[in-house]
Amino acid sequence: MFGYIVPEKPEMKIKEYELFRAYYCGVCRSIGRRHGQLSRMSLNYDSAFLAVLLSAVGNEQVKALRKRCVAHPVEKRHIVCDSGIVDYASDINILLAYYNLDDKKRDDGNFVPKAAMLLLRRAFKKLRKQYAAKCSVMEERLKDLLLLEKAECASMDQAAEPFAKLMEEVMAYGPLCTDEKHEKTLRWIGYNLGKWIYLLDAYDDLEKDMRSGSYNPLICQYKYDQRDIGKFRQDIRDRVEFNLTYSLNEISRAFELLDPKINRGILENIIYMGMRRKTENILGIGSCNKVE
Amino acid sequence: MNNPYEVLGIREGASEDEIKKAYRELVKKYHPDQYQDNPLSQLAEEKLREINEAYDYLMKNSAPRQETSYNGNTGGSNWNSQGDSDFFNQVKSQINTGNVKLAEDMLDSSGNRNAQWYYLKGLIFMRRGWYDEAYNHIQRAVNMDPSNYEYRSALNRMNTSNNAYRTNSFNRGYNKQSPDLCTICQCLWCSDCCCEMSGGDLISCC
Repeated sequence: MFGYIVPEKPEMKIKEYELFRAYYCGVCRSIGRRHGQLSRMSLNYDSAFLAVLLSAVGNEQVKALRKRCVAHPVEKRHIVCDSGIVDYASDINILLAYYNLDDKKRDDGNFVPKAAMLLLRRAFKKLRKQYAAKCSVMEERLKDLLLLEKAECASMDQAAEPFAKLMEEVMAYGPLCTDEKHEKTLRWIGYNLGKWIYLLDAYDDLEKDMRSGSYNPLICQYKYDQRDIGKFRQDIRDRVEFNLTYSLNEISRAFELLDPKINRGILENIIYMGMRRKTENILGIGSCNKVE
Repeated sequence: MNNPYEVLGIREGASEDEIKKAYRELVKKYHPDQYQDNPLSQLAEEKLREINEAYDYLMKNSAPRQETSYNGNTGGSNWNSQGDSDFFNQVKSQINTGNVKLAEDMLDSSGNRNAQWYYLKGLIFMRRGWYDEAYNHIQRAVNMDPSNYEYRSALNRMNTSNNAYRTNSFNRGYNKQSPDLCTICQCLWCSDCCCEMSGGDLISCC
């Protein structure tokens, strides 16, 4: 479920790319500093997007310093430091990674997720205390999700609801939610982001889930009947694309309402191009224009 | 009031034409039609009000006004279509004031599943972010009562809203055709041939 939120690099300005990377490195460093070096392996781009978006909404003055780090020991890089928002994004990164591993462990009882969870356990326990209210909401949503999966829910909207609500909780960063307008808008972005991720992931996993017989909302809703998988993908593609693009459009409308004064270029790049590219690549649209 | 130039996203001391251009673009962006089925519609109205104030302020302080600012209230007018039963009107007004949960409870308790019911249910789904269900319900309302303009325009809005996103992304450079390497070489070679004909030589080896 991770790593779908990426920028469209060829259309980025160099200064935007540098700043985005500074946020990414900032999140990574913040994880290492506060939760131990090994936890840094759980890092993904989504957390960088979260940090960029929230600090744009909070109009935060960022401090980017040139530093060396363990992962890139030769070259000094810009890294965003001393930011409460970057720290929050890194905490969320750990929490979501842990929940995700827990889900994987349940799915196939594999050794790898168990071992990774052991590595994150200490950090997770600490964060669970720190964000008690948020975590209990998120865990409630994950429970809902399991129940819907067990019941083989045949509606993509209903199946996506728990994860969408979970992302809503992630976006509702406390200090920014003192402003009711910000809270409402951020939550709506979170909801649609979660929905987009969940549906995209479901479409991406169609083959895998068919082979293993796992639950997939799209297989249930569109009643897969042993016809050719490629044909099935083709048949449902338009409906799935409609729903995915609708969510992206809602994200963009909410984003325009936030009307941020900083980081605008990066966010527009991700929302209008990076996420669209990801959608089209997974749906298999316009793949001849693929930009690497 | 916030700095009106900042609200309109223009430099201070911009000319009247620049102000008007920025204003027109912003009105298009935050127009009530864009946010009609959206839980953030009230925020969009506020934003538009702010833009109007900024525009009015700037125009008052430069030249006599020729253009009146956009009035955001017209967007909601199609709520008052006539001939509906009281019950459905109540549900509508609940949806309109953002009381989606109550509207849904009212609707679910009603046994009368006519086109109007499916239409309203669709509007509720849309505000909750259940776009697939919303589309199916509104489609059903249209099928049950094809002559109803309100249902058809809601379905139409859903279909066209995705184009807004696509246009925005195209305008920012998504999938715009830029010349590939092959085209560039061809152009170079052609201009080289032309140069040779008129006596000069751009690339000496060919």
